[in-house]
Amino acid sequence: MQTSMFKKIVQIVAFLSFILVTYFAMQACGFKIEALQKGLKDGMFFLTAMFPPNWTDFKSMVAPALETLALSILGTLLGSLVSFIIAIFAASNISNKWVKLFIRSFISIERSIPELFILLILIAAYGLGALSAVLALMIGCIGMLGKLFADAIEETPTSLIESMKASGASKIQIIYYGILPDVFPKLISYALFRLEINIRLSVMLGAIGAGGIGFELDYAFSMLQYNRALSSLIMVLILVIGIEQLSAYIRKRLLINQI
Amino acid sequence: MKTFLMEHKRWFQTLLVLIGMFLLIQYLKIDITILFTDFHYVFELINEMFPPNFDVIWDNNTIFNSILQTISMAYLGTLIGGLIAFLFSIIASNNIFNFKLIGSIAKWVLSFIRVLPSLVVILIFVVAVGPGPFAGVLTIIFATIGTLGKLFTESLENLDPTSAQSLQSTGAHKLQTFKYAVWPEFVPAFISNLLYCFDINMRVAVGLGIFGGGGIGYKLYLAMRVLHYKDAVALIICIIILLLIIENLSNYLRHKILRN
Amino acid sequence: MIKAVNLTKQLPNGKLLLNDISFEVRKGEFLGILGPSGAGKTLTLKSLIGLLDLTKGEVWIEESNNEHINIFKTKAKVLKKLRTKIALIFQGYHLVQRATAIDNVLMGRLGSISTFRSLIFGFNEIEKNAAMSSLEKVNMQHLAQAKVASLSGGEKQRVAIARALFQEPNLLLADEPISSLDPKNAKIIMGILKELSTLFPVIGVFHQPELCAKYCSRIIAIKDGKKVYDGPPVLEETLLEFIYGEELAIVIPEKYAN
Repeated sequence: MQTSMFKKIVQIVAFLSFILVTYFAMQACGFKIEALQKGLKDGMFFLTAMFPPNWTDFKSMVAPALETLALSILGTLLGSLVSFIIAIFAASNISNKWVKLFIRSFISIERSIPELFILLILIAAYGLGALSAVLALMIGCIGMLGKLFADAIEETPTSLIESMKASGASKIQIIYYGILPDVFPKLISYALFRLEINIRLSVMLGAIGAGGIGFELDYAFSMLQYNRALSSLIMVLILVIGIEQLSAYIRKRLLINQI
Repeated sequence: MKTFLMEHKRWFQTLLVLIGMFLLIQYLKIDITILFTDFHYVFELINEMFPPNFDVIWDNNTIFNSILQTISMAYLGTLIGGLIAFLFSIIASNNIFNFKLIGSIAKWVLSFIRVLPSLVVILIFVVAVGPGPFAGVLTIIFATIGTLGKLFTESLENLDPTSAQSLQSTGAHKLQTFKYAVWPEFVPAFISNLLYCFDINMRVAVGLGIFGGGGIGYKLYLAMRVLHYKDAVALIICIIILLLIIENLSNYLRHKILRN
Repeated sequence: MIKAVNLTKQLPNGKLLLNDISFEVRKGEFLGILGPSGAGKTLTLKSLIGLLDLTKGEVWIEESNNEHINIFKTKAKVLKKLRTKIALIFQGYHLVQRATAIDNVLMGRLGSISTFRSLIFGFNEIEKNAAMSSLEKVNMQHLAQAKVASLSGGEKQRVAIARALFQEPNLLLADEPISSLDPKNAKIIMGILKELSTLFPVIGVFHQPELCAKYCSRIIAIKDGKKVYDGPPVLEETLLEFIYGEELAIVIPEKYAN
């Protein structure tokens, strides 16, 4: 039958182009299986060289880890506040059409800027240090939390907003008394989720100048102090896993208490 | 009489949060005044960044190649990572594979891979295969296995068992049940998650450019390193447009799949 | 007293959503607005408080001091003050779920307090006691501290009415207030609305002609944006057929159910 023959040809062409694209992609990335095999051996050797971790090194990792933790928490806190204010303007039920469109585009654009570059720009302006790091995390939250918060705000029923408007309440009263109480658990949940992401980001940002344990990790690697690197790695794992468990626990409790 | 609108409680909670923030700022030794005193640097920076130098994009082919490189990194990472994640998830999900012990081990391995921060992974791969996009792809593969491994296992475990059970009751064996009952139900979630991961991996690919990951992220990092801010802004705008296109494409395709 | 004059709303493509609707409602009247879906009932209601931009038409409201105000031509400040005396209730989802019943009642007077005062000081004891007595009037005082999310549909509507009462309004508007209630609660709410109409005019949009016939003092029917009936709540079958057309079978499962 002609159509099934046509379908078969289309399938074959699709499959072939898929193979072609994959091949070219591999070329573009310098994908070499031999390098991987050799690298795997080197990698394994080097991983074993990392053990055993050094206990004194490990103790010196606690302070940087706390610094990274403080950075992430502060960044997420400030980021949530800023994102909430922006989200109000991005929600169709209490913002006007054009403002909402503009702000939503702004949020999308922010989401496309890698946080590492936000940090680099901030460092160019304010220098290395915790200030730039916190600002970078704070601004980085806007892309995700701005959208999530705005979507959550839009879930507030219009009948509630209209009854408040009809009785003469001001915009701020509508936001604080009408929208905020019901949307608050969702906001906390999203913020905690972002905290998990921000912890990993802080580790990354640490390597390019934010300090904290990311810096220790990168430094140890570049200094070829692999035992120290392992200690910092273990510390990073503890930090990340710890925050993830905490965040998951609190979010589960929030879900249960939803009634 | 107690009411929710009791402002004292709200004020107390707000005060606690404010104190917390203040303590954190102190602990990190952040000097807020710098925000304002050094603010003029921001203006100086903006001055140096505009007007953006778009010639850097047109002048050499390398930018176009870098974009292709970044897209290839995300593409390969998602593809290979997705495949490996899929295999892992079949073993790890408790309703498909019946060797409980191996299944648990697979779940553990997936969790471990997921927890590793990408910084660690790329540092190790750079040592193993040298800096460049290859290390980047490998890192993305790792990260993808972590994210998709969990998502796939959840999707598989949440599948409706009725169609599989009815097939098995007619005598079909494991492989057949999989091909005809499990796989068709799983495909939408599979493709949707792949597209979602591709979107994320594009951003990761750009971000890894700094750590020797290659692609347009690396070009951007270089431009900033040598203080060619006008070039850098042009590249950032390029990146933003690229990522916006990918994001919208990914969302559009995922909606269509949901519809089907 | 509220008077609507020539309310007209025309879409850019020429379609008339509201076509020259006029009527007047006074204290002591419980007005029911009936009509098929999409006829323009809710739009009419929303125009009465200025929540809808009209192509043409005026709405006059009598203030407490006998002054008549056209809500489309007043300054924002006057409009806001006017609105504090107008109460609006909906079919549902118009209360804050996580807040208690009494909190929701208190929210009725937010318009009368400055934003600053409400955020810093909240409500004083006098206002809180007044809120409690509003709840007593609808028999909900025992559930004052209950979270609204845990209340039944009928209880929620009573809280909404208590909130409306707390405003000490000159006018009460209701958009399908009983559409999501079971028959027993629907009748309770209709009874309350009828009682309230002795204090101030009550205007409600309904999908239940038989209950309207029983409780309302007057009925207006709107079809395709036009007012097609304005008179006593006597609903014969021919009239209902004229208003509802094919929808009749859906609207009245049994004739004038008691």
